[in-house]
Amino acid sequence: MTLLRVNQVHKIYPSGTHALKGVSFEVEKGEFLVIIGLSGSGKSTLLRCINRLHEPTSGNIQFNGRDITHVKGKELRQLKRQIGMVFQQFNLIKRRSVLVNVLTGALGRMGTFQSLTENFPQKLVDEAMEALKTVGIEEKAHIRADALSGGQQQRVAIARSLMQHPDLLLADEPVASLDPATSNSVMQYFEKINKKFGTTVICNLHFLSLVRKYATRVIALKAGEIIYEGLPEDIDDDWFKTIYGEEAEEVEIR
Amino acid sequence: MTLSDAQGVMEKKRMKDRTKAKVKAALLDSFFVFYSILVVDRVIWDRFILQLRETHFSWAETGLFALISLFVGVVWSLTGTSLSDRLFGLAKPTKTAKLTFEIFGWFLFNITFIAGWIITKISIVDLFSDEGVAAAQRIFAALFSPRMAIFDEALFAIIETIYIALVATLISIPITLVVSFLSARNLMNDNKFTLLIYAFFRLISNFVRSIEPLIWAIIFSVWIGIGPYAGMLALLIHTIASNAKLYSEAIESIEEGPIEAISATGANKLQVIWYAVIPQIILPFLSFTIYRWDINVRMATIIGLVGGGGIGTMLIQYQGLAQWHEVGLIVIMIALVVWIMDYISTKIRQAIY
Ligand SMILES: Nc1ncnc2c1ncn2[C@@H]1O[C@H](COP(=O)(O)OP(=O)(O)OP(=O)(O)O)[C@@H](O)[C@H]1O
Ligand SMILES: [Mg+2]
Repeated sequence: MTLLRVNQVHKIYPSGTHALKGVSFEVEKGEFLVIIGLSGSGKSTLLRCINRLHEPTSGNIQFNGRDITHVKGKELRQLKRQIGMVFQQFNLIKRRSVLVNVLTGALGRMGTFQSLTENFPQKLVDEAMEALKTVGIEEKAHIRADALSGGQQQRVAIARSLMQHPDLLLADEPVASLDPATSNSVMQYFEKINKKFGTTVICNLHFLSLVRKYATRVIALKAGEIIYEGLPEDIDDDWFKTIYGEEAEEVEIR
Repeated sequence: MTLSDAQGVMEKKRMKDRTKAKVKAALLDSFFVFYSILVVDRVIWDRFILQLRETHFSWAETGLFALISLFVGVVWSLTGTSLSDRLFGLAKPTKTAKLTFEIFGWFLFNITFIAGWIITKISIVDLFSDEGVAAAQRIFAALFSPRMAIFDEALFAIIETIYIALVATLISIPITLVVSFLSARNLMNDNKFTLLIYAFFRLISNFVRSIEPLIWAIIFSVWIGIGPYAGMLALLIHTIASNAKLYSEAIESIEEGPIEAISATGANKLQVIWYAVIPQIILPFLSFTIYRWDINVRMATIIGLVGGGGIGTMLIQYQGLAQWHEVGLIVIMIALVVWIMDYISTKIRQAIY
């Protein structure tokens, strides 16, 4: 079943940068799609158009069979609830506990008054502990978020997105600020969520070795256009040089 | 819209920006010329060389000066060697441009300083005249032998002052919070309507802030009568306006990441503010507010001079009666309280960080 349909999407920022130039692709339920491409090729912009942190300039996007290209207000918040997002810089609330950070993933389900008084129902707290267990750091629940290591913070961010019970999980270079070993362990949690809950994942990555290990399909962007779409194992040396430029050399990461 | 369209738009924007800068430079040059003529003619020539007491003013003459300045300024700016051209980085990189900049800059600085000297009537003779020195000695002697009989009265008045400042600061907090969120650009750039609200609150608080608390005190003491209430309102309104600026600047400089992350969960605006904005600004806010209480105690004293109640009102009464021993006690007590407040607020602010 098709979860996401991106059709001829353009994005031009107010500054004039033409970041996406007619991007089209589809994503089936349960896929682990990885997007690769040089810095500035438009990967982050694409993810932000999908969960509508940005609005596409033209073209359209269908999610669960619905056109979401220009939804606004309450409908937009409903859409965001169904799509989890994990960022390169983790973007946790530093001064708050890990548990509160995870609970913020459920804000869309809570009433405004209830959430501003931080009166979280026990059911949600249990659920948050469960999410922390899924990413293996339930013992850190009551520690301040900024006291954790990078890898742990990213797992908290994953747990936060799990609280949304997302149909789609977006990850914008989730391991780019982590060391190789930690990168691998964080990527394994994405794999686990993908396999265990059947959550569709779209992930921006830089390292081809990680791409080959986790992706079920790959899209490569160059200057805002899709130049490759296919299986990870079909990216040979020629494709690699087309995507990353003649000068590039592949580095291994295990 | 295609790529080349976008580039065309950028190119047009650059041209427009340059034209705008050029017009601004010409106007600024005209102003410099106008200023020079006025200072040289009205201050240096009339008041110093001719020693006139009253300076005449006529719109006709001033208008003529303005027209001449505008003409000279525009022509000067067109040569590309003017003062503003260089200030705005529009000047040709020639020797003449550099030389004009140095000569005229130096000239402006000097006439300003000379005019300032003339206007403030600086005079060493006055400072050390026998009569003056004797009077000063009398006052200083009285100040340093304070009259303790009014201690109770002064203590009560200074406590009143501290409370005026405290109440003004406390009431200001919730109002300032709301105003500062409404005047933080990064929270208000959703659409044209919210930007309008933003501009409105910016304008109002700039206006309120540009009027000194002393003047607000005069306004309120006419409005609701002399006393602590008028003083408190004057401090309150100025505190809101000043802190709203500091708060909103703190909000504008927070990390975008958490805001983006919380919005991405489908949270609404209030939830985003509570979870992603407030935790990042709470400490600077506390620090500004405590510092402001400290400032308000000092300001409450000054405001008392024009009828805002407290120790200031008491001070001005004794000063009017030339009872310098009483004034001495009051001044010492004010100095003590200000010093203690300063110490406490610094300590608290250090503890916060
Ligand atoms: N908010 C924005 N406003 C204006 N221009 C932007 C904005 N975000 C990105 N851009 C521009 O859009 C282009 C694509 O950027 P994008 O962040 O999508 O690339 P990326 O592939 O994610 O790169 P990276 O690997 O560096 O994260 C770049 O030229 C960038 O400068
Ligand atoms: Mg990016």
